Amino acid sequence: MSLSFYTNAQQSQLRQVVPDLIRARQLLGDLVWKDIRVRYRYALMGFFWAIIEPLIMMAVLTFVFAYVFQLRFPGVAGEASPRETAVNILTGLIAWQFFSTGIIASTNSLIESRSLVTKVNFPREVIPLAAIGVSFVNFVIGAVLLLAIYTLLLWQLPGLAILWLPAIFAIELAIVCGLGLLFSCLNASFRDVGYMVNAALLFGFYASPIFYEPGLVEEAFPKLYPLYFLNPMAGLISAYREALFLNQAPSLVHLISPMVFAVGSSLAGIIVFRKSAATLSDKL
Amino acid sequence: MAIIEVDKITKRFRAKRGGRVLIGRGGLGDLIRGKKTETVTALEEMSFDVEPGESLGIIGANGSGKSTLLKIIAGVTVPTEGDVRVRGRVASLLELGAGFHPMLTGRENVYLNAGILGMRHKHVDEVFDQILEFSGIGSFIDYPVDTYSSGMYVRIGFAVAAYTNPDIFLIDEVLSVGDEEFQRRCRTRIGELMEMGKTIVFVSHDLGIVNTLCKRVILLSQGKMVLRDSTSKAIDFYLRQIGAEKGLHTMRSGPLEAIMSNGRISLFYNQEEVTSASGMQFKVFNLGFWHESKDADWEISDRSDTSCIARGYMAKLSATFVWDISLENGEMAWKLSIHCDRTLCADMLESNLFFPTHYTRWTYDDGNGTFQELRPEDTDWVAATAPELLCETSALLPPDDSDRPAIVISCEGLRAHSRGSWLNSDYMTGSRVFRTEEHTGEESKSFDPGDHEIIAYRIRPDASKEALKKRLSEQSDRQTLTVGKLRCRFDRGRIRLSFNGTQLTDVVHVYASMLIQNLWHDSVNLRWESIDHDGDVLRFEGSSRRVPLRMTWEMRPEGDALGLTIWIEAFEPLDVQEYHTSIVLKEDYTDWKTDHESGSFPEFTSEMHDWHHLNENYAVASFGEATGGSQPTVRLESSTDDVATRMTILNTGHQQRGRVLQALCPPDHGVIRFEPGKRLYFKGRIVVTEV
Repeated sequence: MSLSFYTNAQQSQLRQVVPDLIRARQLLGDLVWKDIRVRYRYALMGFFWAIIEPLIMMAVLTFVFAYVFQLRFPGVAGEASPRETAVNILTGLIAWQFFSTGIIASTNSLIESRSLVTKVNFPREVIPLAAIGVSFVNFVIGAVLLLAIYTLLLWQLPGLAILWLPAIFAIELAIVCGLGLLFSCLNASFRDVGYMVNAALLFGFYASPIFYEPGLVEEAFPKLYPLYFLNPMAGLISAYREALFLNQAPSLVHLISPMVFAVGSSLAGIIVFRKSAATLSDKL
Repeated sequence: MAIIEVDKITKRFRAKRGGRVLIGRGGLGDLIRGKKTETVTALEEMSFDVEPGESLGIIGANGSGKSTLLKIIAGVTVPTEGDVRVRGRVASLLELGAGFHPMLTGRENVYLNAGILGMRHKHVDEVFDQILEFSGIGSFIDYPVDTYSSGMYVRIGFAVAAYTNPDIFLIDEVLSVGDEEFQRRCRTRIGELMEMGKTIVFVSHDLGIVNTLCKRVILLSQGKMVLRDSTSKAIDFYLRQIGAEKGLHTMRSGPLEAIMSNGRISLFYNQEEVTSASGMQFKVFNLGFWHESKDADWEISDRSDTSCIARGYMAKLSATFVWDISLENGEMAWKLSIHCDRTLCADMLESNLFFPTHYTRWTYDDGNGTFQELRPEDTDWVAATAPELLCETSALLPPDDSDRPAIVISCEGLRAHSRGSWLNSDYMTGSRVFRTEEHTGEESKSFDPGDHEIIAYRIRPDASKEALKKRLSEQSDRQTLTVGKLRCRFDRGRIRLSFNGTQLTDVVHVYASMLIQNLWHDSVNLRWESIDHDGDVLRFEGSSRRVPLRMTWEMRPEGDALGLTIWIEAFEPLDVQEYHTSIVLKEDYTDWKTDHESGSFPEFTSEMHDWHHLNENYAVASFGEATGGSQPTVRLESSTDDVATRMTILNTGHQQRGRVLQALCPPDHGVIRFEPGKRLYFKGRIVVTEV
C-alpha cells in the first residue's frame, strides 16, 4: 500500500495538481463511467440513446434550418446545397454542445456532489473534470456521427485536413476545463455564478457562427466585426469548418483568440480552484 | 513518530446564511450596508499528537467541535491557522456510503466507493469477498442500491471502509446505526483493527464504547481542548463539567456523590466511581423501538445539595420520565416514574445499572455466584442469574483483596411483573449489570394518562463487606447438604453439586421442568422459600406465578449419596405433556451409560444450537450415568416404581456446553393429567463416586 503523507498546506500547493490527478485517474474514469451508466440504466434501449438522441436532434435541425428556413452557407463553389448547409450547421452545433454542456455541468458539479466533497478527502479537481468527461463522451459520439453523415450526405470522404480537428479540439477542451474549474469553485461560494454562466452561454450561442457564417456579421455590423473573433468559439467553429469543408489548415487569425483563452482560462481555473479546493467543503 | 500531528490549529467558519437570521455570507444586502461577515470559531489553538496504533477518543457536547476536528484530520477541510500532518492513509467513516449512487448495484458502488477512498480496483478485487461476507448482503450485491433497506446500505458502507486497509480510521458515531447484530460485528471488526495496530480516532456520545475502545480521550468544549487524559479521568471530568447544563446536577452527602447527567446517573464513593461509564439508565420499549433515558431532553428542578427531581422529555414518546434522586444516610434513593400525557402502550420497561468489572461476585435473593471473566469475543450479554421475580435486596461484591465497597441494591414498591437479574455485558460495554425489567407480554401494557411509579431503588455502597459475607455464608449453610465429599447447595430451584471442592454441574445444575401447553416450566423460575431445615433433611417449596402449582423438594443423605424427592401439588387440574428431572454436568464428561445402552458424548460444534438426544432406547429405566477421565462418576437413579421414568442422555447447545442426564416421564397416551392435590413427581438418588 502506498504511504501517503499530507499536511493541510500541501493541499493548496499548485505543484501537487499533476501528481494528485495522476493518482486519481482511476477515480476520474469511474465517475464518468458512473454518470453514463446511471443515465441509461433503466432505459430499455440503454446506451443506444447516446447515439439515437443526437441523431434525432441532427435530423430535426437539418430539416428545419436547411429546408424550412432555407439557410445557405457559402460552399466551395458558390452557394452550398441544403445537404452541405446541414452538415455545416451540425459541425458548429456539436462543437458548441460540448462547450456549453461541459461548462454548465462542471459549474454545478461540486454542488451536486456535495455529499461526497464534505465527507471524503480526494483531489477535488476530479469532480468538475468528471462532469466534463461525460460531455466529452457525448462529443466523441457526436463527432463520429458527424463524420459518418458528412460522408453519406455529401458522398465524399473528408480530406486530410481533418487531422487538424484533434488539435482544434484540444484548444476547446482546455478552455472548457479551465472555465469549468473556475466557475465550479466560484459557484460554491456564490451561487450567482451558475445563473450568470447560463445567461452568458445563451448569448454565446447566438454570438457564435453556428446557424450562420461570420460573413453575415461583417455585413451587418462592420464596425463590431473585429471584436467578433474575441469570442473563442467563433474562431474555433470557423477553424473546424475550414479543416472539414475547405480541407485546409485553420488560419491563425481564427486560432489566436482561442489559444490565448485556453492558456488564460486553464491557468486561472487551476490556480483559483487549487486555492479554494481545501476549504470547499465549508462552503457547500 | 506521531502518525497524526495537530499543531495549534484554529478553524473559523463564515456563518452560513440560514434559518432564523440572515447573517452574512457576503450577500448583496450586507455588501451595500457595509456589514462585515460574521465568523464562528469552531476550534481554537488546538494541539495534540496521535501515536501509531493508538486509539483516541474525542468526547464533548454537541457543537464542541468534534466533527470539525475529525474533518480536518480526514483532510476534508483545512484549518484556518495551524498545521495538521498525517502520515498514512486515512479512511473516514464520517458518513457511511458517502457517494453511493442509488441506481448502481451494490457491487458497482463498492468499487466506486473504494475508489473514492483511494483504493485501486485490483485491491478491491482481493478483498471483495470479505466485504461481501462482512456486509451480509448476499445476492443483493447485484441489485441496485435503491432496493436496499437502510440497514443494508449502512452495512455495505461500513464494510467497504473497514476493508480498504488504511492506517488511520476516523469513526464518527457510526456505531449508533444499523441493527444490533451489525453493531456487534462493527465492534468486533474495530477490535480486530486495533489488534492489527491501526490507529483509531473515535468520536462518540456513548461513553461506554469510548471507555472500552480508547486508551486516551480528548475532551472538547466550545472549540477548545479542555482535557487530554486517560479515558476514565476524562469521562469522569466530562460527567462533572460538561454536557447540557440544564440536565446536569451533582449531589453530595458524606462519602457519596451522585451525578445526574442527562438521563444517566453516575455514583461515586470516596471520590472513586462506583458505577461504570454507562452509569444507571432506564428505557421503554414502545412500538418496536427502545426509548432510552439518555436520549431524552432533561430538565432538573428542585435542585439541592443532596437531591433533585429530573424530568426527561422523550421526543418520540408521549411520556415524561420523572426521576427523584436523593442521597441520605449513606445511600442513594432513585425513584423512577412515568408521567403520561396520553395513554402509553409499553411492551417493556427496563432499567440497567452498570458497574465496573472489578466486581466479581453477585448475590441475588438467597443465591449468589461469581461472574465470568469478560473476554474480547464476548459480543452478547450473558445472564448470570435467570430473570426471576424481583427480590428486595441483592448485592455486588469485589474480590476479597480489593478495597472497593460492596454495593447493596434494594428495590421498593415493586410492580407485580417486575423481574430482576444480574448480567455480564458484552466486552465493549465491559460491565456487570443489574437489570430490572417489566415484560408486559403480548398484550401491551398501557399506562393511563397521569403519573405512574415504576420502581424505587436504594443503592448503598457499603465498605463493611464482612457483614455481607457473613450473611452470604450463613445463607448458603442453610441451603447446603454435605454427604461425604459431595456438597449439594440448593439455589432457587436447582441444586449445585460439587465434589471434593470441584464443581460438577453447570448452567442450570440439577433442576426439574414440565411441559405444559407446549411451554417448558422450569423449577428455576418458581418463587422458592425454605420451609424446613431439620438436621440433615432440607425441604424447599416453590410456587409458580404462571401455573397453579407448587413444588416441594426434599434433600436428604442416603448413604454417600444425595436422596432427592420431589412432590408436585396442583391447585387445578393440569395437563402435562411431559416432565423431567435433570442433571446438567460440565463438558468434561465424555461417556454415558443407561440400563439399556451406552455411548460417548459428541464434541460440541457450532451447529449444535439446541439440546439433542443421544440415546435411542426409551424403555423404562432406572439409572443414567456419566463418566469422563478423572471426573467422579455421576449417576442419576430413579428408585420408585410409582413414577416410571425413562433415562435420557442429552447434549446441550454449543453455547452452554453441558452433558445432561435426565429422568423423563413421558405419558403413554397424550398427556398426563395432574388432578388437584399432591403427588410424587420424582424420587431417586444422585450418586457420585470417585474413579
